[in-house]
Amino acid sequence: MGLVESGKLPKPLTTLLNTSRKYSLWVYQWGLACCAIEMGAAFGSPRYDVMRLGVIPLPASPRQADLVVISGTVTDKMAPAIRRLYEQMPEPKYVISMGSCANCGGPYWDSYSVTKGVDQIIPVDVYVPGCPPRPEALLEGIVLLQEQIQNEDMAAKWKGDPLAV
Amino acid sequence: MIPLPSETTEDTIDAQTDEARSALLDAMVADLGDAVVGHHLMPGTDLWVRVCTEAWGDLAAYLRERQRFRFFGWLSAIDWMPSPYGRSLDSNVDNILEPPDASKVAETVTGFAGGDTRFQVMARVHNLSTNLGLTVKADVADDALTVGTWTNTFPGAEWHEREAWEMFGLNFAGHPGLRHLYLPGEFEGYPMRKDYPLLARLIKPWPGIVDVEPMPGSDEPSTENPEGSN
Repeated sequence: MGLVESGKLPKPLTTLLNTSRKYSLWVYQWGLACCAIEMGAAFGSPRYDVMRLGVIPLPASPRQADLVVISGTVTDKMAPAIRRLYEQMPEPKYVISMGSCANCGGPYWDSYSVTKGVDQIIPVDVYVPGCPPRPEALLEGIVLLQEQIQNEDMAAKWKGDPLAV
Repeated sequence: MIPLPSETTEDTIDAQTDEARSALLDAMVADLGDAVVGHHLMPGTDLWVRVCTEAWGDLAAYLRERQRFRFFGWLSAIDWMPSPYGRSLDSNVDNILEPPDASKVAETVTGFAGGDTRFQVMARVHNLSTNLGLTVKADVADDALTVGTWTNTFPGAEWHEREAWEMFGLNFAGHPGLRHLYLPGEFEGYPMRKDYPLLARLIKPWPGIVDVEPMPGSDEPSTENPEGSN
């Protein structure tokens, strides 16, 4: 593995590793509100069938997950739990923010209790807009994330400055 | 305070149309005496009874044991003060950028059975054998935001009273543990009070309802006329 951190990995090998990673995304779900219904349709139903995209839904714990979908309204009371379980995920890890509430607060933009965007507490890779987004929109977000993973330079990711949120 | 028209706060019992509720109201007035300070009966629909603040705590046991209201629906509170920040959804009357001004605040309008104070505590109970529901309420004075607890009679009222405590700042004497239920433990303020400021609105007022895309069949987007687009 020292080869990967050194940045001297041959290009075909990087491509192979990234292709492998993007087609075996164990996705951990944070279903917080009505978006979770759409996420459940995308993950659990044969109609949308995320496993054909190489996404494996619902591992037993965040410690086994590569990706987390924050779907729903993040409240200030829930935010510490989200942060804690995100920190339990092993690197490399990715976050999809699903729906208006998780993106920016959405219809609760003026609420006393809602966090105005989950990106205030954890870094987000893909924002899926909608209220709620259709399952197809979440699938597109996953495809966009897979494109990002395909073009990722793991050496740069590991050699760079520590991720500050 | 603007009292409601007299025909709504006074006795509107129509014995011909609602014997069960009028009998219940008569029994409550007979048993509680001066503690009943207001009532409103909508024949065939519902009954509201307002009691004095001191009688609130004992009212639960009376309703449950004497009037057989065995089902506790909910307990909550209400802040009758008009919002000093104006209305929320209509940009023409949203005066959010102006500081609260007591002299400009509209006059308070209270609901059924009247009221003399800004805060009222209210609850809903049901009698499952006669299939009657009853809404009871009590004024809570601003300088002593305390009423008696209902948890001794209805254990399920505990969470309801905790919610009313954290949202409105009402105290319930005798409650086993008033602590935050929905809000984080370090939350400051009482967000359901009308004068609780929503900081996001103070920074950026609600722009009104704006259509950003033309509706099918129309020629132009209607972004320039928000009040005409809803």
